[in-house]
This record gives sequence, C-alpha cells and structure tokens, in this order.
Amino acid sequence: MSEQSTLTYARVNEDVIRMLDKPTVKWLALFIPTLGFVGFGLFCFIHQVYTGLGVAGYRHPVFWGVYITDFVFWVGIAHSGTLISAILFLFRANFRMSIYRIAEGMTVFAVLTAGLFPIIHLGRPWNFYWLFPYPNQRELWVNFKSPLLWDVFAVSTYLTVSSLFFFVGLIPDIAAVRDRVTEAPRKFVYSVLSLGWKGSNWEWLHYTRAYLFFAAFATPLVLSVHSVVSWDFAMSNLPGWHTTIFAPYFVAGAIFSGLGMVITLTVPIRKIFHLEEYITLDNYDGMAKLIILTSLIVGYAYGVEFFLAWYSGSPYEWGQFYYRATGEYAIFYWIMVVCNVVIPIPLWFKAVRRNIKVLFIISIFINIGMWFERFNIIVISLSQGFDPAAWGIYMPSWVEIGITVGSFAWFFMFFLIFIKTLPAVSIAEMKEILPVPNKGIKGDHAG
Amino acid sequence: MSQDKKGGLKRRDFLKIIGVAGGTAAVTGACSPPVEQIIPYVIPPEGIIPGLPNYYSSTCRECPAGCGIVVKNREGRAIKVEGNTKSPINSGATCARGQASLQGLYNPDRIKSPLLKNDDGRMKPLGWESIEKSLSEKIVKARSGDKSGNIVFLTNNISGTLSTLIEDWMGVLGGAHIQYETFAYEPLKEANKISFGIEKIPTYNIEKTDYLLSFGADFLETWLSPVEYTADFSAMHSVKDKSVGKFVYIDPRASLTGTNADQWVSIKPGTEGVLALGIANVIVNEGLSSNSAGGLQGLLSNYSPDKVSSITDVPKEVITQIAKEFAGADSSLAIGGGVASSGTNATQTLVAINILNYVAGNIGDTIDFGDTLSISDVNSFQDMSSLIDSMNSGDIDLILIHGVNPVFTLPKSMKFKEALEKVDTIVSFSSFMDETTELSDLVLPDNTFLESWGDYSPRTSVKGLTQPIMAPVFNTKSTGDVLLSISGQVEELNGRYVQTTYYDYLRDAWKDILPSGDFDKEWNKALEDGGFYEEPTKVAVSLSSAAMGISFPDAEFKGEGEYYFMAYPSYRYYDGRGANKPWLQELPEAITTGVWDSWVEVHPDTAKKLGIKLGDFVTIESPNGTIDTQAYVYEGIRPDTLAVMIGQGHTAYGRYAKDRGVNPLDLLPVTTDQLSGGFAWLTTKVNASRTGKHAQFVQTQYTTTQHDRVIAETVALSELQKGIHHEEHHEADFYPPREYHTYRWGMAIDLQKCVGCGSCVTACYAENNIAFVGKDMVAKRRDMAWIRIERYFEKTDDAKGFRTMYFPMLCQQCGNAPCEPVCPVFATYHNPEGLNGMVYNRCVGTRYCANNCTYKVRKFNWFTYKWPEPLDWQLNPDVTVRSKGVMEKCTFCVQRINYAKDLAKDDSRDVGDGEFKVACEQACPAEAIVFGNLEDHESNASKLSHDDRGYRALEFVNTQPAITYLKKVVRDKA
Amino acid sequence: MKDNQGVLGIFSYVDVTVETVKKLKRAGFQKLRVFSPVPNHEIEDVMDEPESIVRFFTLFGAMLGAACGVGFTVLTSSDWPISVSAKPIVSLPPFIVIIFELTILMGALSTLLGLLINSRLRRNAPSSMYDPRFSEDKFGVMVTCDKESINEVENILSSQGAEEIKFDEV
Repeated sequence: MSEQSTLTYARVNEDVIRMLDKPTVKWLALFIPTLGFVGFGLFCFIHQVYTGLGVAGYRHPVFWGVYITDFVFWVGIAHSGTLISAILFLFRANFRMSIYRIAEGMTVFAVLTAGLFPIIHLGRPWNFYWLFPYPNQRELWVNFKSPLLWDVFAVSTYLTVSSLFFFVGLIPDIAAVRDRVTEAPRKFVYSVLSLGWKGSNWEWLHYTRAYLFFAAFATPLVLSVHSVVSWDFAMSNLPGWHTTIFAPYFVAGAIFSGLGMVITLTVPIRKIFHLEEYITLDNYDGMAKLIILTSLIVGYAYGVEFFLAWYSGSPYEWGQFYYRATGEYAIFYWIMVVCNVVIPIPLWFKAVRRNIKVLFIISIFINIGMWFERFNIIVISLSQGFDPAAWGIYMPSWVEIGITVGSFAWFFMFFLIFIKTLPAVSIAEMKEILPVPNKGIKGDHAG
Repeated sequence: MSQDKKGGLKRRDFLKIIGVAGGTAAVTGACSPPVEQIIPYVIPPEGIIPGLPNYYSSTCRECPAGCGIVVKNREGRAIKVEGNTKSPINSGATCARGQASLQGLYNPDRIKSPLLKNDDGRMKPLGWESIEKSLSEKIVKARSGDKSGNIVFLTNNISGTLSTLIEDWMGVLGGAHIQYETFAYEPLKEANKISFGIEKIPTYNIEKTDYLLSFGADFLETWLSPVEYTADFSAMHSVKDKSVGKFVYIDPRASLTGTNADQWVSIKPGTEGVLALGIANVIVNEGLSSNSAGGLQGLLSNYSPDKVSSITDVPKEVITQIAKEFAGADSSLAIGGGVASSGTNATQTLVAINILNYVAGNIGDTIDFGDTLSISDVNSFQDMSSLIDSMNSGDIDLILIHGVNPVFTLPKSMKFKEALEKVDTIVSFSSFMDETTELSDLVLPDNTFLESWGDYSPRTSVKGLTQPIMAPVFNTKSTGDVLLSISGQVEELNGRYVQTTYYDYLRDAWKDILPSGDFDKEWNKALEDGGFYEEPTKVAVSLSSAAMGISFPDAEFKGEGEYYFMAYPSYRYYDGRGANKPWLQELPEAITTGVWDSWVEVHPDTAKKLGIKLGDFVTIESPNGTIDTQAYVYEGIRPDTLAVMIGQGHTAYGRYAKDRGVNPLDLLPVTTDQLSGGFAWLTTKVNASRTGKHAQFVQTQYTTTQHDRVIAETVALSELQKGIHHEEHHEADFYPPREYHTYRWGMAIDLQKCVGCGSCVTACYAENNIAFVGKDMVAKRRDMAWIRIERYFEKTDDAKGFRTMYFPMLCQQCGNAPCEPVCPVFATYHNPEGLNGMVYNRCVGTRYCANNCTYKVRKFNWFTYKWPEPLDWQLNPDVTVRSKGVMEKCTFCVQRINYAKDLAKDDSRDVGDGEFKVACEQACPAEAIVFGNLEDHESNASKLSHDDRGYRALEFVNTQPAITYLKKVVRDKA
Repeated sequence: MKDNQGVLGIFSYVDVTVETVKKLKRAGFQKLRVFSPVPNHEIEDVMDEPESIVRFFTLFGAMLGAACGVGFTVLTSSDWPISVSAKPIVSLPPFIVIIFELTILMGALSTLLGLLINSRLRRNAPSSMYDPRFSEDKFGVMVTCDKESINEVENILSSQGAEEIKFDEV
C-alpha cells in the first residue's frame, strides 16, 4: 500500500458500503439491456432444442464449435479469480487485497456461465442429467473413463469450492454492512447472511485458519480443473489435440485470460466508484507482470506445438499445424497470435503497466485473443483430421452467436447485481494492510 | 383355377388384406408408421409370421439388363431388394438403381389413381371402371369411319408375354407396336450384321479375358448389362495367383469405367475405329495375329502407326504397346459401342473393333452369339422419327404410351413433344407424372414391377419372371390387366381372350416356355428361381467379307463450337428414370462426389482458358440450344471435350427430379449413325463461356488427393509377384489385448476389386433406415451415409497420367475404438463379438465419439429427418429410426447378425461362414466386400485378413480395426 | 436475576486493548472476549487461545472424500462391467481424477462445517454486548464475572480509558 494513503478503518467501511447505495440510472441503463441479451440467448437455446442442433453451424467433421469454445473460455476466465484470491493469498502478495473480491465474484459467475455450455451443446439437452452418476432402475452408471465425466466432477467441484471461498471471505464484510444499513428488510437479509458474525477473537481464530485451508484446497483445484478441461482434447487421438503440453498450456492461458478479464472489469468500477485509493497502480502493475509471464508461456506453447508437429515428421500433425497458419482459418490463427503474444509486449515497460487506459485496451485484446485460441484449437483441429475425405469447414450460425452474446450478458448480469449487493472490495482485508490504530503507549507497535 | 388355391391365390388373399391395411395407413398422418396398423391379422394368412421376413424372387426392370432380384417382404411391405443368386445375369448382386427401385414403388409422387384430362386441361381422378370405359370409347372412336384409324402402342423393351399380348392386341386393331429404348445400341447390331451376318447383340465373356480393351464401352455403368459385367470385370481384374488382368480404356473421357482402367488412353472423339485398325495393323505386321488375317492386310496397311497417331492423338508407342499386349495376352477382348462416344461412324468403328478381335482371334472365344440380348429386338431410331412424321401429319389418332418418356429422353431438336400434341388422344400407362404423361389425356397408372405379374427375357437363355412383392401401394392396375379387361369392350377384341386376369394369361403363356410335365411344379419352381434359365448354345461365327468391304469415314460434327460435347448416360439415373429416387440423387457420383445436380466436366487447361474454377457456372451453346451448369474441373477428360451426364433436368417427374440440373439432350442435333441409323450421341461441337455466377459445388468429398497420407494403399504388380515382405510388428500396449470367443465379426475389402459404383452405399441406406437429407444439407456436409466411397486422384509414377483410387470407408469396428472411452454415458461400447455397439437410446449427443473417430464414419442426427409418406413404408422394422440429437453409424448390420444367430440357435449350432451377408457385401457386384467371423479361421474374411496385400487403415493409430483392406495393384510402380 | 455479569469496554486502539486484557488477566479474570474489525496478532497472542481444531475437520473430510472417490468409481464400474476400447473395467489412471476432485470437494465442505461449529456462529442477531462499531474501527473487551467483581472490572476498564462501558447479564 502506498505510503501517502489517507485511508482509515472508518473510511474503508464508508467508501465500500457506499457502493451498495440505491441503483443509479447509469446502473439500470447497463442492467436492463443486459437482461435483454440474456433473454435473446435463451430464445436461441429454446429454438435450438426445439428444432434440433442443426440450427447451429455444426457439420461433419466439426462436431464441436463455438459452444465448447465458450465453455473453455469461461472456465479460463474463472481461473485467475481463484489464482488471485488463493494462490496470491498463500504467497502473501498484498496487491491482491483490493481486487480479490471482484476477482472471486468473477470466478463464481464465470463458472456459472461455463457450466451452461456443456448442456447447451448436447444433442439431447433434456437428458443432461444422464451425465451424473445417480442410481437408476437401468442400473446403468456413467463412464468414469470419459474426460467429459472428469469435467462434470471438476467443474461442479470447482463451482462449489469457489462459491464457498467467495462466501466465507464475505462473512465479516456482510456483518459490517449489516451494522451499517438501517432499512429493516436489508438489515434482516444481511443479518442472516452474516451468520451473526461479531468479530470476536474466537471467530477470527477459526476463521483465519479455515480461510487458509480453503486457499490451500483452491490452489491445486484450480490447476486440476483446467488440466481436466485440457484433457477433453488431449485425451483424444486427433492431430492438434493429442498433445502432452496441453495441461500447463491451458492453465497458463486461463490465468492469462482471467487477468485480462479482471482488468477489463476493475478499470471501469474503479473509475465509477472512485476506488483509486483502493485499487492502486501498484495493483495493476502486479497483474500486468503476471500477464507478461503467462503471455510468454502461451507464446512458448504456440511455438512448441509447431516445432513438435514439424519435428514429429508425421504428415498428420504437420498437416494440421501448417493448415492452422495457412488454411481457411489462418486469419483467426493470426488474430490469436497477435492478441496474445504481440500486443502484451509493451507491458515490459513500467510506464505502460501503470497507464490504466493502455492497460484496459490491452486487456480487451487479450480477451479476444484467448477466445480465438480456444476456437482455433477446437475447430481447426477438427476440420482437418486424419482422413482427407472427411475434411470440412465450419462457421458458427446466428444461433451460436446469439447464445454466446447471451452468455456474456448472463455473466455481466450477475456481476452488476453483485456490485450493488455485496461489498466489492474486502473491508476486513483492506484494513489488514492499513496501519494498525495504536495510541503509542510504551513504544509504538504500529507499522 | 383350383390349382391356384395352392400357390398364388393364398398370397393374393393376403396381399388384399395388406392392401386394405395399406390404404388405411395411407390416409393416416406420416407421424404414425403404418406398420402398426397392418398387424395384428385377424386370421393370419398362411406363411406369414409377424417378425419373420418373406422373400420373393422377381426381375428388376430399372434397365434392360433384367437382373434377377429377391425382394424382402416384412408384414406385407417390400423393404429390401437383393440380387438373386440363381440369376445367370447378376448372380446375386445389384446396382444402386436396383436397390433404389423401392423408392419408385413407394415414391410419394406416384400417380395415385386413374386420371382423365378435362376440357379445361386439368387432370381429374377417376375410377378404373370409367377410365377403362372411356379408353375403349377412344379406341372405338379412333377406328370409326372418318378417322384414319391409326393406333400406336409405344412401349419400352418388354420382350415377353406383355409384348405378345400387345402385338396380338394391336394386330387386331391394325395398329403398330413400337418398342423404344433410349440406349438401343443399334450400331452394335449393325456392326455385327456386317461383320458376322448376325444382327444381334452378343454377350461378352469379359471374365474369361486377361486383357480387356474398351473403346468407350462403359460396362461398369450402363453398357448392356452393368452388374454382370462389373462382376466379370472384377473376376478378370482381381488378383489370381499373383497375376492380374489388364484393362485399357480408350475414350475422350475417363468415365467411372475409365477410372478403373489400368491405362486410360485419351482419344480424339470419333477416331476409335482408326485406332482399332491401327492396332490390328501392328498386330498383323508384327506377325502376332493368330490367324493369317486373310484379306485384311490390304485394308489394314493404310493404318500405319504414324498416320493413326496423327489422326487419333494417341502416341505411336502407346499404339504398339497396346497391340503387343493385346495380341500377346492368352485371352484378350476388345469391346465398344458405349453410348456417349458413338458418333456418325459408330457402326464402322465397331466393325473395326470386330476386325481387331478377329485378328487377335477372340471371336467365339470371348464373344458369344449363342446368347443374344433382347434389346437387339427393339425398334430402330428410324421408326421413332417416322412415328414423329406421321404424328405431325396427323395420321395418328390414338397413341398408348407405356414405360417410356420420349418427351424427355429424345433430344429436343426432334420436336417429339410438338408432334405428340398433334395426336387426338394420348393414353399413358406411366406410374409417374413424367414429361410425356403430363401431355396425355388419359392416364391409367400401371403398377410398378414390384407390384405386378409379368415376365421379361433380357436374353435368349434367360426368361425372368416378375411377381408382386406386395399389393399395389396406390389405386393402380397392371397394364396387362387393363388390356384384357377393355378387350371385352371393343368388339373386335371381344371374346378373344379366355383369361380375365393378366396373371392367368401369363401362366398360360408360360405353359409353352416351361418344360413339359407337371406345370404347377415347374411354375412354382420358376417363381422361386425368379424365372427359367437355359444353358445358352454356342454359336460359332466368322468374319464375313462384308466387313472387309466397308470404308471407314471420319466422324462428322455439327456446330462451329470449339469443344466436342459429350452427353453420357448416368449410372445413377440411366436415361433419367432414376432421377425421382432420393437415394440415387443423394448417392455421390463416383468421380465428382457431386449430388442432387448436374455439372459439366472440364479439363484443367480448358478451365484456365475459360477462366473458371470448381463451382463456376458455364454456358454451353450449341446450334440447338444452351444450358447453364456448374463446372467440375477434371483431369480425366480431353481439353477439347466437355461432358454432361444424362438424366437430370426434368421439368416434371416428381418433387425429387423436377427442376434439378440440366438436360444435355437439349443441345444435341438429330444426327444418326450412317450405317445403322441409330441415334448418334457424340456429334455436336459447342461453345462454352463463363457466366460469372458461382455457387458451392455440392459434393461429399472436398479433397482430391490423400495429402501424402496413406489411406488407400497400392502395391506394384512386380512387388506382388516377388511376394510382399510382411512384417508383423506388435507394439507393446498399455493394456492387455482383448479376448474373443466364438465370434469376432470382421470384414475384408479388396481395393483391386472395388470399382466405386456405390451400390453398397444405396444398399446401406435401404437396410439401415438412413435418412436422405437433400442438397442443402449435403452442402453442409450433413449427409448420413454410413459407408462412403472415398475417391482419390493420384499422379502415376511417370507423372503423365493419373490414377483413381476408390476406397469404401465405413465403421472399422475397432478393437481399441477411440470413440468408446470418451462417451460419458456408455452409449457406444465394445460388444463381446467385436462390434462397436451404438445404443441410440442412451446417446445424449456430446458428439465426442465422432470427434475422436479416426475414420470420421460417425454421423449425427442434426434434425429429426422425415420420410414423406409412403416412402416410410420401406423402413426396415428391425432397425431403429433415429431421432434428432443422436449419433449413428455402421454396426455391420447387427440386425442381420442377430437374425442369423437366432436361426443358428434354433438348431443349436454356431453361425457358419457365408450363412448370411451384410447389406453392402450382398449388393456389391464386384464382390469386393467379404464379411465374416475372424474367430473362425476357415472363413473367407479371416483368410483374406491375412492376405499378403492386407493392411488396416491408419494402422499406426493402433485402433486395431476389424476391417482389412487389400491393396490395389498398380503397374507403373518400379 | 443470574449471578453472572458481563462488562464490555470499548476502545479505539489495539495497544490499549491489549494492555487492558493483560491487566484483567493479571487481576485474575479469565473469561475474556475481544472484538475487533480485523484479525490481529497482538490480540491473538495476548488471548493465547488453544490452536484451532478446524484442521482436523479438514483432514477427516479430505480423507473421507478420497475414500468415497475410490469406492464410487470402482464399485459403479464393476456393477455392470461394460468394456470400452479394450481397457480394463477397473482402470485406475482415469479414476484418479475423480478421486482427486472428491477429495477436494469433501475436504472443503467439512472445513466449512468446522468453521461454523467452532467459531460459534450461531445466533443471527448479535447480543446487546456487541457494538456495531466493532465491524468498523472499534475494539471491545468483554469480561464475564460475578456481581461482586463488577466494580473492579469497571475500574480497570475506565483506568485504561475505555470510551464506553456496558453492563449486561449473560
């Protein structure tokens, strides 16, 4: 925390809880259209269920497309949330304090969004529950050898744990809100949510301990989840999918895209709610450094894929990657490379890292680039598999685009509700990095 | 007849029941399958056990070849056509058209009842009583005083009892019976008359030769008897103790037949005769002729290789090479007379080819005049033109048309339509509302051949019977019955026939055909066998001096255009009659893999010159008309030639055929072959230009090469004869190998035998209830075929020519199937008999299995596809009809496997080898597909799977397929 | 009228709070409770409560999860053996993923349980001995004692300069 901070315990409560005041017109102007898009997405989905999956652009041999792309994209977004809240917590990286709440909210909502797509993309979505292992009169269980089932477990575990993490972190802050709000209904709701938190020394004792364990669990979980997602592809035998680099490659990519999304989200919030003193340039500087790192890893993965494809001497592997860079989809491939490898390069300079506007723009490009990364991996690999006779070109239909847009709206809908109902900055943890209030009897403990 | 009660009548009773049931089904909505309403029988008819199929032998009438067929009947519905193994013609196999005949039977656009044209020109449905009455009135009127009384009965080639009846009938009425076939092969007849004094079309023993030379005879597609000749070709061209027969195809265009040749010789249109003589000349000069070639030297000496080469564009060395090989082979054969390449000198060309055969000593050895084709006896093209003249001059008052569609199949320039309109009364017996029937005043819809009694003799030694497989689907009546019943209403004919039904007439007629003795026994046997077959008697012929006398003029071409225009008969639509069958429309054409449309084949150089690429629209102009169609750029055609297939471009003929593609006949002039007078097809030169319009060329395979991958493998003949070194490599697997007991079902596919005709594809559609999806869906690569013929063009080693590989790809039933472990719900799994099972009801549609399928043979139901009533009557009750959101794929006809196992279980034994065949194997005329039990080491499939040429597709992925492919043998590799 | 009395002193400074606790302890008052807006080490030290037992909940939960993972995958696969791609019916490598996820899931859930039980987050409404400012910037020291010692406690608190002192029965 920068020294010239004028923050006090009281002001933290003041500023953070002020964010929960009555929704402004600006907020509604954002929220209502969002609902509109969600509605359109829903319409598209109903249309698809009723008519059949054919309304999407799918065709032989590209059986997965935009939906799975969206799935992987949103799971990826989710990751940096947990990274910032859990991993950086374990590393005691102070720059996380101000942003981790937003990041965590983002995680939960992103997983909520991602979770929809495996169902949306099913041929018979009304049977989605067959993917869960429940006792049934057919005595038929699920196939635990299928990566898709690993997904079911990984994603649902991830959703549960990240929500717990999110909620537990909120308890003291909700208590703070409870103590401040006056209107009966709000007070009641917050009281219930706060579970009667009083901030007594026992509570803090177990709370800090439990929080540590959550962090300790969330960390391997977050790594496992995206590894599992990557194995949806790596476990197959398709050239372009069947590769061992996928797990680390996907995790790095996930953190990369997630950090991008955090910046995209926090920059406007910081501006609108005047949180400059909370979300400081140092915070962004820290994230930007992480972006550089992950961008390098991702770039390395792109390179290695090509090298190995060529080095393998297999016409199938090399054919696939040569096609990625030169075929009908080349434009998407190069969008990906530019957005994820070239555009982040300026972040090497401190000036850029601390320039909010530039950072914001770069983060947008990162989001785009990472979406296309998933699209390329999935669609291009599928469109040219082993057998040339079965090659084909896929392009998304309006239904797929509609549902994708809807998914973004769905995500932002939750997010907008969140910033108006729950403290978007952790009150308690902000105070941890403020100077401790001491009177200064027999030697000052402050520091 | 009391005797009837034994055999026929019982079934006809039963068929009546079905007929009623069918009727009720027809009026109920498409949503409820009629099958549910046919059963239960109140009183079960004899020999019908619900759930068990009945098989009836019959004769296919989709083309003049007259293959024997066996039709599977389930609960009163014909559901599958298969070849009749007893038939000497097709010996068990069928072509795609034969398979699709069911979609003629169940075609939703069939004429559903008799029709009468009102004064306002609209057709109005009528009962049989009244339509027959008005027909007889028309006949009487036509013969009443003021009229010339000329009646013409125009039919297709109906050699047999119906023909006799019509002849007799018309004899009484003093009219003419004209049998018209679109492809009548008149030059062949004429040439044989000239060369051997026999005006007949013989049968060719292709299987006996080991060197086959075809001058444009597309015997794998439409030429005379394609199924038979495909089998014969496969026999001569397959690997027999390490030797392989050679096939050279000489034509301006490499047709499906041409792409199966070991060598395609691109020749200048109309110069085939010259080449034949040139080859003969070399043979004689080199002293390779088995006979002294008496008297021919003079003629042949004018055809020195240099001269021939300059005329035909065929290199000298090729001429001598072929000559040497042809004469050197133990048994060689040269054939010709393909429709597409027959020009004004077609007869002379064929005479030349006969001379060549004579010089090489093939006459009587591989050409057999003991068994001649009935198509020899159809009326000549001249008869048709004179018919047109007399129609124009108003001499014809009444024309009855049966089984032909001349308005479509005759070139526009003949103005048949205009002439026909001058006829007072036009009566059509067509089952479909085709271009000709549209013009007619009375329509008395005939049963399709699957619903009616009849016979057809495709050749002297074969008398085929057709019997009803089921009751008529609609309110139709067989023409034979119509003729008999109205003969009662025309005084001249009254009382002439004792029989009241055509069935009785047929039986009586067959009393003379079948050997004497217990007629009913013989008759029932004939019904079982699908007809009566005799041993053909050999007829020796020798070259007559007439052949030496004739001159060999150049072919003449009309039009100033710079491109020869070739209209070739389609092996899918024949002369257009196949175009109303969705299976045939959706069957990818072997060379282009195009579907549901027409196109013009253009050589790459020509394409460059015209500035067009695949899918661009081209305008083709001849003095007689223009057509616009998409271009397919194809190496297998001469740069100076354009080719369009016959059969599309209907203006009527039902929803599937109407307004689809173009009809090349619109461009053809009325030109005849000088000597035979038959219609000459390759006689016009056209201009071509790009229209600037472009559209996706809808095909099922967008690649032309294997992209340096080895899927369809080849082996050089030399290598084969050396003996292929076979290294059995066993990589260590992470998991132990799987054990099988009693059965592991497997398959062997011989790429040397497969000709890419696609009858397996259509058979699979028929057996497994595979939906046809239409052009728009195929454009999105959503065709549902479980088995596809992949075709790859490859540069030959001398890099001059190209080689075509046909590769049937279907589910490989992998031992380590990549599709199985990725399914989260066990919807696909490995069954104990080695099948890769697919549980439709369990599938939730994650489609991961398809993504992970190395061979991409899984098809997904993007929608719930519908079969317009009554096409859905054909659905196989043993196979689930899949609904939207479900993955589907080949399971080696598991329903047939289980049926066979049930039968075996009844007498507690295991299923033996060859006890049953899977649909694709059953249909394949080339016998390229062999299915069997790999656990039974004596089974053919098991033996073939250890063949020297055997390999597995994409073996290195270690999917351990149950299908073994046998490498194609190529000659040009060192 | 119960004989147990609660006295609550409210302070603004951590060090003062800590001093107060020390004094009270020296004076023999052991039933102490400190309220604070943030976790604070000085307070933790001076209170020196026994190590939290939440960790045992966590450990147990995780182990239970692992066990469930193994049992679940193995038993359901064996229940109706369906062979896929020549893999053994029970093939552990793929199951490990499931086992891992279940370990984490149940570990996390039981940790939450441990937290709820141990930190006595029971009542939704805070007692009268709680001050809303505790969640903001004030610190509180609550002493539970018998009637007799109320005055002594009050003296200690006020001598430490408690800004406010509350009494109540507990």
